[in-house]
Amino acid sequence: MADHAASLVREQFRTAEQQRETETLGMWIFLATEVMFFGGLFVAFTVYRMYYPQAFGAGSADMNILLGSINTVVLITSSFTMALAVHSAEVGNRRLLAFLLVATMLLGCVFLGVKLTEYYQHYLDHKMPSVWFEYAGPNASKVQMFFVFYFFMTGLHALHMVVGIGVLLVILARTLARSFSAEYYTPVAMAGLYWSFVDIIWVFLFALFYLQGLHI
Amino acid sequence: MAEPVISTRSYVFTYLALLALTLITTLLGYLPLGPFSMVVAIAIAAVQACLIAGFFMQGLYEAALVRVVAAAGVVWFLIMATLILTDYITRGWLPFPGK
Repeated sequence: MADHAASLVREQFRTAEQQRETETLGMWIFLATEVMFFGGLFVAFTVYRMYYPQAFGAGSADMNILLGSINTVVLITSSFTMALAVHSAEVGNRRLLAFLLVATMLLGCVFLGVKLTEYYQHYLDHKMPSVWFEYAGPNASKVQMFFVFYFFMTGLHALHMVVGIGVLLVILARTLARSFSAEYYTPVAMAGLYWSFVDIIWVFLFALFYLQGLHI
Repeated sequence: MAEPVISTRSYVFTYLALLALTLITTLLGYLPLGPFSMVVAIAIAAVQACLIAGFFMQGLYEAALVRVVAAAGVVWFLIMATLILTDYITRGWLPFPGK
């Protein structure tokens, strides 16, 4: 077992712990760049919302709060199962790790399914910016702008979810191939960081898009 | 080799706290708080983000360097947001000749 662990330390690292710390640092740096990536969109949304508060409130009132809050719970639950997956990797429970990875991916698929249902409903309501947009009230072009932000930001988030599910598929395959042990499980932990980060983004999207039109 | 730094129990408590906050923020959304509804929603979302980053992502238990990098991501974002918003908020405050 000691040989097995030693062989997993690449030559530029002195110890397995140094390797783990370096990989973790790299992952957090990547996530910091993702904060900037989404952050630009969040700031742009804030500027437009500041300029057109009524129109953005009206757009927000068109959101389906039931599906939105279900998706929030689903995604938080998937983040929980992912954290438990990393935990079972830490203690070397391969069977539980595989089960929790599958559960996390399934919850991710449920999220994407609900999201697509919402998109389809917006399509039926003629709320697809520049494709088919009809709005009877005032400030129609500004309400359309709200939906541009909505589709772009939730779409970018959904894309991250698809990538996350792909990453977890690879992790699952490597788990089943017995690539991980209590001595070496860094890829599982890195995938967990990514998955939870995407969850954090959604928490803010939920606050921006769904909660602002509830009392209107 | 490495002992699990966070117990299953802590993960369960974090999960329950996140669900409770989701319920609270949704219910608060129905109150007519005016401009403060956005402040409240973002503040609760920030607390949820800290719980996820601190416990699910084990950020609280990482080396100081990792925590500095995580904080730097937030600080860079706040610098960008502050500089851009100071521009947009203050436009029109001063009269310009010919405008």
